[in-house]
Amino acid sequence: MEEKLSQIQASYLEKINQANTLRELDESFLALFGKNGELTLLPKQFSKLEDEEKRKIGPIFNQIKSGLEQAIEKKRAEVRQAGYQKLTEEKLDINPTELKSRTGHLHPTTQFIQQTVELFAKLGFQQIDAPHIDTDEYNFELLNIPQDHPARDLWDTLYIENQYAPGQLLLRTHTSNAQIRVMRDLKPPFRIMSIGRCFRYENLDARHEHTFEQFELIYVDKNLSMAHLQYLSEYFLKGTMGEDIKARLRPKYYPFVEPGVGIDALCFFCKGKGCKVCGGIGWLEIGGAGMIHPNVLKNGGIDPNIYSGIAWGPGIGRMMMLKYGIDDIRSFLKGDLKFLEKF
Amino acid sequence: MKVSINWLKELVDLTVSVDEVVRLLPLRTIGTKEVTENFLELDMKGYNRADLLSLRGVAYEIAAITESKINFEEPNEGGFAWIGKNLPCVTVKVENKHLAPIYCIARIEGLKVNPSPDEWVRKLDDSGMRSVNNIADITNLIMLEYGQPLHAFDAKDVAGETIIVRNARAGEKITTLDGKHRSLDPSDLLITDSDKALGIAGVMGGKDSEVKGSTDTILLEAAIFDGKNLRKTAQRLGLSSEASKRFQHGLTKKRLLQALDAAIKLYQQLGGELTSITLVGDFTEEEKTIYLNQKKLNSLIGVDISKKFVESSLIRLGFIVTLASHEEALQGWNIRLPFWRVDINIEEDLIEEVARIYGYENIPAKSLEREVTEEVDQRLFEFIYELKSTLVNLGLTEVQTYSFYSTTVLNNLEINKNNLIKILNPISSETEYMRDYIWPNLVEKVTENLKYFKDVAIFEIGKIYLFKNQDMPEEKYHLSIALSNETDNPLKELWAILQKISETLNLGINIESQDRGDYARRYLHPTKFSNLQDENGKHIGGMAEVHPRIINQFGTEKRVASLELEIIPLT
Repeated sequence: MEEKLSQIQASYLEKINQANTLRELDESFLALFGKNGELTLLPKQFSKLEDEEKRKIGPIFNQIKSGLEQAIEKKRAEVRQAGYQKLTEEKLDINPTELKSRTGHLHPTTQFIQQTVELFAKLGFQQIDAPHIDTDEYNFELLNIPQDHPARDLWDTLYIENQYAPGQLLLRTHTSNAQIRVMRDLKPPFRIMSIGRCFRYENLDARHEHTFEQFELIYVDKNLSMAHLQYLSEYFLKGTMGEDIKARLRPKYYPFVEPGVGIDALCFFCKGKGCKVCGGIGWLEIGGAGMIHPNVLKNGGIDPNIYSGIAWGPGIGRMMMLKYGIDDIRSFLKGDLKFLEKF
Repeated sequence: MKVSINWLKELVDLTVSVDEVVRLLPLRTIGTKEVTENFLELDMKGYNRADLLSLRGVAYEIAAITESKINFEEPNEGGFAWIGKNLPCVTVKVENKHLAPIYCIARIEGLKVNPSPDEWVRKLDDSGMRSVNNIADITNLIMLEYGQPLHAFDAKDVAGETIIVRNARAGEKITTLDGKHRSLDPSDLLITDSDKALGIAGVMGGKDSEVKGSTDTILLEAAIFDGKNLRKTAQRLGLSSEASKRFQHGLTKKRLLQALDAAIKLYQQLGGELTSITLVGDFTEEEKTIYLNQKKLNSLIGVDISKKFVESSLIRLGFIVTLASHEEALQGWNIRLPFWRVDINIEEDLIEEVARIYGYENIPAKSLEREVTEEVDQRLFEFIYELKSTLVNLGLTEVQTYSFYSTTVLNNLEINKNNLIKILNPISSETEYMRDYIWPNLVEKVTENLKYFKDVAIFEIGKIYLFKNQDMPEEKYHLSIALSNETDNPLKELWAILQKISETLNLGINIESQDRGDYARRYLHPTKFSNLQDENGKHIGGMAEVHPRIINQFGTEKRVASLELEIIPLT
């Protein structure tokens, strides 16, 4: 047995040393350690040996096994290194070539947001861009959410280490960080869409993501009312989920709106009868909205005695999960083509 | 807030079934988290309704939305346990009146520690609290009913039976009720005696002075502490308690005195005797009145609601409504608030009250009136979508990756972290550094997908984040593409893809001279790379085969090419 082992060792060490390509090394590796590899099968014969020989062969086997593994690894590094050296001999070749035929896919989030953008563009809403890294002031304070207010519990926040404004820079927790900028930059009436990536301190699991998309309408004009919130909610649900999906508003507290509103959609699955998805209620919670708080309008330089404002936003991720039957929220940012090619 | 259903029924004569209460609550007041046959839990996260952290407050609310009657009366303050008794004072010194505007201590003696009666145990259990013993349970039962936290110190453990309310000293420590040793900060407010800390005000009592088997005399504390300061302490120590929640949401002096009185009377039923009491602070409660204009109310809700309905809704909720003596054109009311509604501050808050009772779901939709609004430049957004569509038409698939670099990317590329934006409180090391390019994330995704696909062609358009030491970080929109196409020279096809995009969208992207700088040396194939410029010769990015050394680090031997461009110059 010992002899057999040394034979294997000698013959493979030679093969490994003479190898010039990674493929040859892969072949040796498989021949040794694969499912039917020599070193995989050999120990099955140990049981036939005398006790004394068994005790002796164990350590020898292990030593030879790890020696061969290391030899392959070492040679791999050498082959690679030699390969890296040879790279300089390769030429930059960007001569015209045909493109391979492939089927591309837009990310489901892009598709859903584009559909929503086109819907609201028809009502005169226009997009703006707001920073992902923002100050506590724009993300919280000016939105009527003072430091150490219990409402801050609603947003677990990631902060940025910096010397410019220590403790003041953060990753925006919502697209509402655009509100004050929009109010200061534009003259009412205006209809704005603030869309994009937001961040929260959340431990990842199938239902929680620290990075997610928000879509928000910011609308300031004279005589806006909760009846317009109802209209926008219905318009959105009919446009994205189907004509029969009604909207229902109910009270909800957000410090930057008053009255504050939660948006429910008639359950997409049971259409109100009550099912497993909606927990028997017949309605799904899909977003938040409200009439912009007079303090926020004032902070934005708008007179709340003349104008009123609407802030309105559905939870894009949750709606997509329900619409497409996605059960793991992490799928969106995982970059897995098996997932993305379904859309 | 877990609301015991049996307890609620003691306080409200419900005219509807519990099922109907459960149906109405989210439509009129607040969402519910969990409902069982014993309790219904209100979803209080971030909410501003301090009154709903007491059963009495919940009872008023549920009575209002179900048109039921309340079974209790607000107590007569003349009948408080200490009135007319001429009791001596417990020595109390409040050093920081700003953080403890109201501080009361009642000394009760002649008590005997026993298990609580079954009824108390059940009430606590329904409310999600554990029964400890009769003396401690009274403080929790009263807190649940009135919303006012109470704390009982064993009088024997309070040196000289003297209480001092002060800030912690530098380096001071305490062992809290949960047996943990806590280091304190000078911003923390403490309850102390002359030589040691007895508890962290409003957050948690100390182990040394807790009620135990031998306790026969207690110093019962009822106080109002500054919620913001207390929140900071509770957060720093990771100690969120039923009591600290209530301090943060806000308390009223009226309920505090009621709670103190009710607790003393329960202790008296156990055979205890009130022997001294100290009430420190200004107990006058301001009455708040807010003007409500009918026109504004109708305009904000978007429905014409009758005067009668407005008045009856507010009266149901405990508001006192009087017609304002304004001119007739400005019809409105002066609304006096019930003392327990500390969340109401402005006219809009009252409008929400009326809208809730009216039912948000009964507000009909009103379409937007067509009008021209100010034009905002939409080019960037339109361009990004066109670019994405073009790429997809060429056969590429859009991915979206995190705004962070994973540890795999950081390690395999040996990225210098000093130049990256760092998160102060990362969730894990996977969310600690923000990306300053997209292509490293795409290389990671290409190699992951190569386990299942031979050909991978992906792109991402998104923001990258640039560190500025003394300035606001900068954000830029980038496009990145990564390609592995079963050849030894994927850059050739990548360049062909880019030329097609450039043609389709008329971008005029050109090859720029090679610049073999440090970046290229670290990450790129020694010959297969090039900078890219726009039609005006401005540098906009680069393309390259990623050095196989890096690709090998990700566990694959395939060749991968990538490019990255700035978006704004192309729009």
